[in-house]
Amino acid sequence: MKVVETLPLSEAVVGLRLAAAVLDEGGHVLVPAGVELSVGMLQGLQRREITEVAVEREVEEDPAAQAAYLAKLTTQLDHLFRKAGDSDETRALYQAVLDYRMEHRS
Amino acid sequence: MNQLNRDQVVARLKQLPSLPSAVSELLASFSKEDVDISQIAHQIACDQGLTARVLRVANSSFYGLQSRVGTINEAVVVLGFRAVRSMVLAVGMSGAFRPEQCPGFDAPAYLRHCVAVGLAARAIAPLAGHNAELAFTAGILHDIGELVLASNFSPQYAAVLAYRKQHDCFLIEAERDVLGMDHAEVGGLLAETWRFPDSLHEAVADHHAPAGAPASSLADLIHLADAIAHALGLSRQPEEMLMPLDRTAWNRLGMDQAKLTRLLPQIEQSMEETCQALSG
Repeated sequence: MKVVETLPLSEAVVGLRLAAAVLDEGGHVLVPAGVELSVGMLQGLQRREITEVAVEREVEEDPAAQAAYLAKLTTQLDHLFRKAGDSDETRALYQAVLDYRMEHRS
Repeated sequence: MNQLNRDQVVARLKQLPSLPSAVSELLASFSKEDVDISQIAHQIACDQGLTARVLRVANSSFYGLQSRVGTINEAVVVLGFRAVRSMVLAVGMSGAFRPEQCPGFDAPAYLRHCVAVGLAARAIAPLAGHNAELAFTAGILHDIGELVLASNFSPQYAAVLAYRKQHDCFLIEAERDVLGMDHAEVGGLLAETWRFPDSLHEAVADHHAPAGAPASSLADLIHLADAIAHALGLSRQPEEMLMPLDRTAWNRLGMDQAKLTRLLPQIEQSMEETCQALSG
């Protein structure tokens, strides 16, 4: 399972994938989301005094925690879909969002 | 009495302050064969607020540029006229309204929802053979009727928002029950007043009833993008919910669950940054 973590820049290592773009104070993109961190990028971010980055990590999860997350997620989705009906299209959208949320947890 | 009628709304729309000249020129450019791009770029550049916001969007990871663009001319060269036109329209028209005076109107949630629909529409567009930039603009503007109502009929729209909360119903149901009109109809009237191109007009007026719009229009795409944005809960409003999906729109777009699964990460990845770029 992928999780998103916000790390101090000093703990970010080469090869980690950015979960969100790194921006400067003016909101300009320094490094876009989805990019794997390289030595040069880490040095550049240090020079610009960026203090933390959001990265994706692959972790193994406790089945009980996974079940609890699924239950919470289902409650949220049931609320958003409370009047969306039960057509094939609606079910496909519900399932796609559920799969996506389970795969990309923050 | 909160009921509105079409004539009242049209009369109010005619009293709106005129759009920035660059925005009017860009709207007119949809129907012109010869467009003087350098002149329009100059007009945009003369509007500092508009330029700053357009450059913020152009330099966001949304476009993934390797180096920054510092002027509207550079943005046109690097991203193309159509992309810049879409950005200016999205930024310039939404900024023409001041809905803050309407009690209960959640402007940040409105922006978040419109950005989410814009990003979803942009992600779906290539699959449906539509221009991604125009789809993004249509997504940003699709609920512009809400802005018209909240900023020009504030007490009446405050009653709509209270009714919606009380009845946990769809916004368009609350609007029809309280006002006798809904935001799609009002958005359509604005699109006529401001002479939107047909594609944007249909996206604004028909996104809640796409089956009645031509198959080639953006209404199907915005309808689905709207549902996706709500399904992801991106407006963060407690009363958020999605409407039933229209089967005709779904089929005409050739959508399925696997395609949806591939689209979803693209939407959230650019969400925060695009909201930041378009706000203020």
